Amino acid sequence: MKSALVIAARELEEKRFVAYAAVAFAILPFILGLIPAIGGKSPSDAIALGSLTFATGFAVALAVLTGAGFVGRDLSDGRMSFYFSRPVASASIWFGKLTAGILMIVGCFGVIVAPAWLAAGRYWKTFWTLTLGEMSVNVLVCALALFLIAHVIGTFARSRSPLIVADFAAAVLCGVTIRFLVLPLAAGRASMLVTWLGIFLSAALAVAIVGGGAWQLKRGRTDRRRNHRALSQFLWGTMAVALLIAAGCVAWVISAKPSDLTTMVYASRGAGSPFLVLTGRARYRGDYNATYLIDVGDNSARTIDLDSWGLGGVRFTRDGRSVVVPRREKDSADLVIYKRGASNPVETGLTLPATYYPIFVSDDGNRIATIVNGNLSIYDVPQKRSLVSVRVPSDWRSFYQGYFVSPELFRFYVQKEDGLSIYELDTRVRGLRDTGAIADRGFVFFMLDPTVSRMIVQRHNLEGITLNDARSGAVIKTIASENIRNFCFLRDGRMAIVEGPPSKMTLHILSSDGALQRDIPFDGGGRVGFVGDDGTRVVLSVANKESSLRRLVAINLDRGVIERDASLPKDWTMINWENRPPIEPLREVVYGDGAGHIVAWNPVTGARRMVMGG
Amino acid sequence: MTDNAIRISDLTVRYGRTIAVDRVALSVDRGAVYALVGRNGAGKSSLVRCLLGQQKPESGETMLFGEDAWSRRAALMQRIGVVTEEADAPPEMSVASIARFCSRLYDKWDQSSVEARLKTFGVPLASRFGSLSKGQKKQVSLALALAIAPDLLVLDDPTLGLDVVARKSLFEEVIGDLADRDTTIFITTHDLAGVETFADRVGMMENGRLVLDEEVDALKSRFRRIRFAAQPVAIDTAVLRTTVVRSWGGGAEAIVSNYDDRAFERMRGTSDIGAAEVEAMSLEEIFIAIAGGKS
Repeated sequence: MKSALVIAARELEEKRFVAYAAVAFAILPFILGLIPAIGGKSPSDAIALGSLTFATGFAVALAVLTGAGFVGRDLSDGRMSFYFSRPVASASIWFGKLTAGILMIVGCFGVIVAPAWLAAGRYWKTFWTLTLGEMSVNVLVCALALFLIAHVIGTFARSRSPLIVADFAAAVLCGVTIRFLVLPLAAGRASMLVTWLGIFLSAALAVAIVGGGAWQLKRGRTDRRRNHRALSQFLWGTMAVALLIAAGCVAWVISAKPSDLTTMVYASRGAGSPFLVLTGRARYRGDYNATYLIDVGDNSARTIDLDSWGLGGVRFTRDGRSVVVPRREKDSADLVIYKRGASNPVETGLTLPATYYPIFVSDDGNRIATIVNGNLSIYDVPQKRSLVSVRVPSDWRSFYQGYFVSPELFRFYVQKEDGLSIYELDTRVRGLRDTGAIADRGFVFFMLDPTVSRMIVQRHNLEGITLNDARSGAVIKTIASENIRNFCFLRDGRMAIVEGPPSKMTLHILSSDGALQRDIPFDGGGRVGFVGDDGTRVVLSVANKESSLRRLVAINLDRGVIERDASLPKDWTMINWENRPPIEPLREVVYGDGAGHIVAWNPVTGARRMVMGG
Repeated sequence: MTDNAIRISDLTVRYGRTIAVDRVALSVDRGAVYALVGRNGAGKSSLVRCLLGQQKPESGETMLFGEDAWSRRAALMQRIGVVTEEADAPPEMSVASIARFCSRLYDKWDQSSVEARLKTFGVPLASRFGSLSKGQKKQVSLALALAIAPDLLVLDDPTLGLDVVARKSLFEEVIGDLADRDTTIFITTHDLAGVETFADRVGMMENGRLVLDEEVDALKSRFRRIRFAAQPVAIDTAVLRTTVVRSWGGGAEAIVSNYDDRAFERMRGTSDIGAAEVEAMSLEEIFIAIAGGKS
């Protein structure tokens, strides 16, 4: 310890001219402040700005120059024997020199900044969002990091050893490894974990360099090549250990099972599909969001690699047998299809930009339509080839929805400023046809029947709804009603409409041509949503009047009675809606209970079963 | 407690494929003066670095006062004064600063001896080390090395670059004095004439190997130059081993490495070698004879 301090004092004494230069740079901003062309009306600004600029530049330059030479230069000039022929330990030589370098950088920064701080301190916050203390810490941390890195580069370069090639390879390997560690965390939107990983690896690097410096002098002493070799061994060895630890932690984080989940962040399920895409946070895994594809039919789950954009690109097929997932690959996404009972996903060969997913899937998942760079393309999955690609009108900048009417015919609806436009693309004709429109100056909300031949339309700011032709948009029948709460088509083509004030709601069942079949009054709430139907009963989610908590209500369509009424937990999550009924009947209502569990509720029996969760 | 100040055994130093020191073994008794000689690149400096614990050998060990020089370097340096081949002190520091720095590192330090010696050498304390002449730098290094009254003084080619007066000053006034005070001295040098008067033992390195390690007196007693008035000379090599034989004018000259008066007289009686004159040789002449003979 004493020897280290003696060496540090000697180093500082030798380089005292640096302190003189720092004093000069401390005075310079005051001189600049007095020059009218620079100081202007506010010399304090010029002093504060100049001082911090000089201090930062001085600290960084000093860090690089000192770091590159404080050991490496003594070695290459053959002057390290001056220390090694004295009764001082290698560690004392290293830590003495290191201490002197750090004190010099920190001290010079302080010498330059302090006078300006005293003279113009009240102006610091005027120019920068950071306080002087925060700014100084940032600058000094960067300068000290540069100091250490410069020492490594200085030692390596001055040794003139071919080992530098291996060092370069090791550095590249470290960089590649770090990238592979960050990617899965970034995909899991774990910004906090990425930050911690960065802090851990930075600390490991600092330890590796500081420890490596002591090690290099212990092993290499006055020989520059042996110093290089020892530093290399310690540095890369330490980094390898750190990366192994980090890799182990990352592997553990991303190995979270659905049973480990404590919080659900996102859940998406296609109507009538047994598949459920679930994103949640698992215990002890920070802000990492694990994403699973869960088959609620057999309770199986598999981890899928999805980023936040990818979640929006998941598509469930209407037949309930497949789900299309955009798997992130750097700046693009490969579409893959997971099928029930198959262990590996089917590669479609289709690649899309990573952040934009206008994807439409046919009922069986064999055809996919995409709109990329103004081109609408239809892709055949089994053949892995594009069937047709057409340029879409340039005013397609707004919301659109697309549906495969049949495997050959794709119809899509575009929300424009003047209403809803309807187009069709036939793969056999290979032509884009404008088939109709629904004029409106606002958003046109609609629900489609199973065959995409008719639609229930609710125009912007109009409470009433109409039955329209889904191809031309022409009104077939006005379904005159007020207080429309919600509406949809049932799987058999009938219509279900909820209407009435909150205290006295009625479920109207209409035939496919709009004739009223049955009215079923029920105790509603503020908002009502359609969950699905199994042909005999329809399930609604209903908000309680008092508590605003929701409950599931199963209404028997044949008997016109409420069969089941089950409450939902406060933080329940559920399930996206679709505006076209599924092929398969609703068998269970699946929801997240807000405590990390996935629960399935049977509307026939009223039984609940745990699908997933800790 | 060992009697050896230095014990080197089976020391090998390698730089890549080049063997700088090849299985060298030697020992130096306490209080002795050992001179290691050899041509440039013979491996002397590598051996000295190992001796000072500045370099880890490939194999073998270097013991100083019974302790391993590599692992116990820092502690051993309290007892060892070093003058390196190239002056290694920071050039920006003054001589006084260097002395002050060193004084804080040693348990015992005689500042007055440093000042006295530097005064004798005529080196001002306020001088910047980098501004001194080569000889003055060596003198400063020596003054610092002697300030701790070392048990062992290691001098790595201390006279390199010094003029005749400085050499004389270094060897006769300082080293001779230290040898008398029972300080062990290990010196590598090209200046054999300088060490001849006080070296107890001499070693010679060639291509990394120690080809000679002998008491100086014994070495000098067995080497003789014999000048013959006539030639050719028929020397019985079974009796006298000749290292070099040269002809000149009408005569010849032989250097004998195992000279013995009685053997020579016997040979003279039995062989027809005519008139011959036997001369003692200096260390330098012996070194040249050995090195030249081998090359």
